Amino acid sequence: MAAWARAVRGLLLDISGVLYDSGGDGGVPIAGSVEAVRRIKASGLKLRFCTNETQATREKFVKKLQGMGFDISVAEVTAPAPAACRILKERSLRPHLLVHNDLVPEFAEIDKTNPNCVVIGDAAENFTYANLNEAFRVLIGMEKPVLISLGRGRYYKETDGLKLDVGAYMKALEYACDVQAEVVGKPAKMFFESALAEMGVPPQQAIMIGDDIVNDVGGAQRCGMRALQVRTGKYSHE
Amino acid sequence: MAARRALKAVLVDLSGTLHIEDSAVPGAQEALKRLRSAPVTIRFVTNTTKECKRDLLERLTKLGFDIAENEIFTSLTAARNLLEQKQVRPLLLVDDKALPDFTGIATDDPNAVVVGLAPERFHYEMMNRAFQLILDGAPLIAIHKARYFKKKDGLALGPGPFVTGLEYATDTKAIVVGKPEKTFFLEALRGAGCAPEEAIMIGDDCRDDVGGAQNAGMRGILVRTGKYRPADEDKINPAPYLTCENFPEAVEHILERLL
Repeated sequence: MAAWARAVRGLLLDISGVLYDSGGDGGVPIAGSVEAVRRIKASGLKLRFCTNETQATREKFVKKLQGMGFDISVAEVTAPAPAACRILKERSLRPHLLVHNDLVPEFAEIDKTNPNCVVIGDAAENFTYANLNEAFRVLIGMEKPVLISLGRGRYYKETDGLKLDVGAYMKALEYACDVQAEVVGKPAKMFFESALAEMGVPPQQAIMIGDDIVNDVGGAQRCGMRALQVRTGKYSHE
Repeated sequence: MAARRALKAVLVDLSGTLHIEDSAVPGAQEALKRLRSAPVTIRFVTNTTKECKRDLLERLTKLGFDIAENEIFTSLTAARNLLEQKQVRPLLLVDDKALPDFTGIATDDPNAVVVGLAPERFHYEMMNRAFQLILDGAPLIAIHKARYFKKKDGLALGPGPFVTGLEYATDTKAIVVGKPEKTFFLEALRGAGCAPEEAIMIGDDCRDDVGGAQNAGMRGILVRTGKYRPADEDKINPAPYLTCENFPEAVEHILERLL
């Protein structure tokens, strides 16, 4: 075994496209990945799931993965919504939410009256013209618009094909209001750093495994981690 | 300017130049009549994503302008010409009112995407369809890339943000067909049998009308009507060939000095 491999103490795993392919039917696990997670845990390596998933609360998302046979718990998951909530509280921001209905409970503790920023996530069917226009009007009405984006992915793979991700709509609002969004989630450095801190492993001793060359691999490598790209999920289309 | 060849074609913007909403610019109908007596080809050019030629013609005729449908060249016409030239079948994300301008264009099994202003079509499912086609190599054609426009109840998103989102997701660049693109002005001249140096553009938008035309090799006249604001003429370099009070004054200049 190579010298660098011996030093690895922790793994960060992307979920969608690595462990399973999502879809309207709930999705399907990628062959062998249930067993692989079990083997990682048995090996004594530290493990953290690092996802940009914003279509559901962590509770709901984890329950779905458990249903597929994965050994995973909510406490092992680093996701953008809780990270965004910390930022909103720190800066006394009251968000207008353009997110998936199933994600809204993650923001239950946050004051949303008289909004002074917009939080955009992978809203899927909620990405209608009317909803985007509402978010646009909140932003354009502010002296200095604040747009917080839960990830900046271009697209992801579902069982019935590739789907537009939050990044496309983040760009739409950026262009419309001439602002730059603050990204919470991969590939933001802070996001990887908080996942590493939760695992208690320095970047040099951690590896990120993902299917997204920019958000998983690029983001992790910029943090000083090594990264592996898998040829599942969106890989073949990049 | 003396070295220039004689003028052979005049391009005229519509909204803000010939009319402002439902009223004609005073004297504009008369001026157009005088211009018609000169040996020049006239084309009416406009950026529109919603109104088909027929609707534009109807409005202008009502205001007393003597105009024929085949003299009108819009960003929708430009999009149509591009589709024919590329021999592609578009997925049309345009308003229903714009569809007559695409009559006869095959749209089954699409291999191109055209984006205009179509709020009711910008839903997730349709955007995904457009995205998947572009990812498979379909060209993305934008009627224009306006960020937003003014509605009675406030600002509303234009086609630009949706085009930008699709560009980002697919890592491609849209082909923009309206003003101020060079190809728009050159296409508008097609059939007039003259070079850009032999044409002049009259409009109220310094960047899109005058700057665009001058960039295509034409001369440009800026009129101080419509959306014109003081000092607009300083927005482009080189400056407009001429800045006039209104369309009739521009026509006088052409008749007296450029023929």
